[in-house]
Amino acid sequence: MRADIAVIDLRLRRRALLSYVVGMALYALVIVALYPQFKGATSLDQLTKNGSAVAALFGATGSLTSPSGWLDANIYENFLPLIMLLITVGYGASCIAGQDEDGTLSLATILPISRRAVVLQKVEALTVQALLLAIATMGCVLIGRQFDLTFPVTHLAGLSLGVALLGVDFGLCALAVGSITGSRGTALGVTAALAAASYLVSSLAPVIGWIRPARYASLFYWSVGNQQLANGLSLASVGVLISVGALLTLIAVAGFRRLDLH
Amino acid sequence: MTVVVRAENLTKTFGTHRGIIGIDVSVAEGDIFGFLGPNGSGKSTTIRLLTGLSHPTSGTAKVFGLDPIADAVDIHRRVGYLPGELALHPRLTGQQHVDFAAKVRGLQDRTFLHELVDRFQVDLERPTRTLSKGNRQKIGILLAVMHRPELVILDEPTSGLDPLMQDEFERLMRELVSTGATVFLSSHELDEVQRVATRVAIIKDGHLVVTDTVEALRRRAPRTIEFSFPRTVDPKPFASIEGVHVVAANGKRITLALRGAVAPVLRVAAELDPLDVVARPADLDELFLTYYRDQSAEEPVDAR
Repeated sequence: MRADIAVIDLRLRRRALLSYVVGMALYALVIVALYPQFKGATSLDQLTKNGSAVAALFGATGSLTSPSGWLDANIYENFLPLIMLLITVGYGASCIAGQDEDGTLSLATILPISRRAVVLQKVEALTVQALLLAIATMGCVLIGRQFDLTFPVTHLAGLSLGVALLGVDFGLCALAVGSITGSRGTALGVTAALAAASYLVSSLAPVIGWIRPARYASLFYWSVGNQQLANGLSLASVGVLISVGALLTLIAVAGFRRLDLH
Repeated sequence: MTVVVRAENLTKTFGTHRGIIGIDVSVAEGDIFGFLGPNGSGKSTTIRLLTGLSHPTSGTAKVFGLDPIADAVDIHRRVGYLPGELALHPRLTGQQHVDFAAKVRGLQDRTFLHELVDRFQVDLERPTRTLSKGNRQKIGILLAVMHRPELVILDEPTSGLDPLMQDEFERLMRELVSTGATVFLSSHELDEVQRVATRVAIIKDGHLVVTDTVEALRRRAPRTIEFSFPRTVDPKPFASIEGVHVVAANGKRITLALRGAVAPVLRVAAELDPLDVVARPADLDELFLTYYRDQSAEEPVDAR
């Protein structure tokens, strides 16, 4: 598959992407380096004792002093998904709708390349960005094994894949909304609202009974909210995340084919 | 005669807003077709339909006999397009834009591209945000013609170009046509179009008001007559003559645009004891202004 449009888009975003990736990697390094100071702090576990809804809101449930609890509560259930979504939702909203609004999309759409291929190349660029952030963070977390953070590497790899797919899916949601409406603002707004609801459902499900059944509708639950570092990323999760991505890609292609461009 | 572009009853509306209504256009191979109209008249909307960037509300458009939406890839391979409001990526250089387009188009031989860079003195090295409007426009011209397209669709192409570059661009259009290409040239500037175009269509408020050859239009164009009088005169008697439009009435001086016989005008003027009279030949400017001013002044005409 050709990647000329993906390469141009990645070139346009390289500075912002690099800043996010380096910033996230440094943050992850600090978190893993701090673990030895906190692993014996049993008072920390008091925060989440008895199913605190406030702690759950910040993505912290269960033990905070276990290696997986420490990494989940400080990186994988909140901060990394937030940075991931900033990158992917931002790109998803700008790569079709945003570029059409500022007029640069016609540089590509007037070339002999189908609209379907344009969308697929945007998906390529989106995936590369999500993987870069997930892999860079994973690399820094692996260094944590020098700081008493013990966990199966395969589980970390699975969780990293989960975060990347989470980012790709919400990025695709923004891309699809942008392809249907041609509006970057609408794409950002709708996707941000869906992501916030998805995060709340996943993070509160362990402590609030009536929300619990809804967790299956949350992409956060399937990617980072089900103790994937302790238990591994299930095949069912991968299946759900990839299926949602495929469906959103189909919607984006159909929407973009109907969109009137500038 | 091979028809390269054909639009039949082409209509595009944007909700309650008017776009274009019932446009019929046909462009023959080898033509430089001038598409004239004031700002906001529907020129760019028509072009977006022809290039498949936008979907028609009704009617049909064909380019090389193909459908601009369903066959967009085939059409785009053979078409070069310069948008009316060219937007380039601000942080990328002209070279990066050109390389991208050349790669997607599979352009191997860059001889013509290099020749164009020299002719138009295109700055390809700096990020496009640092370039003047004219220099960005030159990059747009490169992107539109570097692959020697069979059809070049140009929307206000000389916008921002200095007069020397405008001349160079006109030469380029003639050269492209001499090698078999067809040019669809949209503009709001009559001068630009009448210098190069063989046929012209005028669009106003989304409707086509005339399509004809430049020569035929020139034949129909009104002559201008200017009278000077010893005193202030009332222009009304002139305005009531059929085929006469009072262009300016400035006290002792009256300027008329005239179609048809001159005798009725002279009879009215003679009674007012004119001091002087200046008559100018058929003026295409005045014809176009007539169409722009008042569509009802002329019934839609299609010579072909």
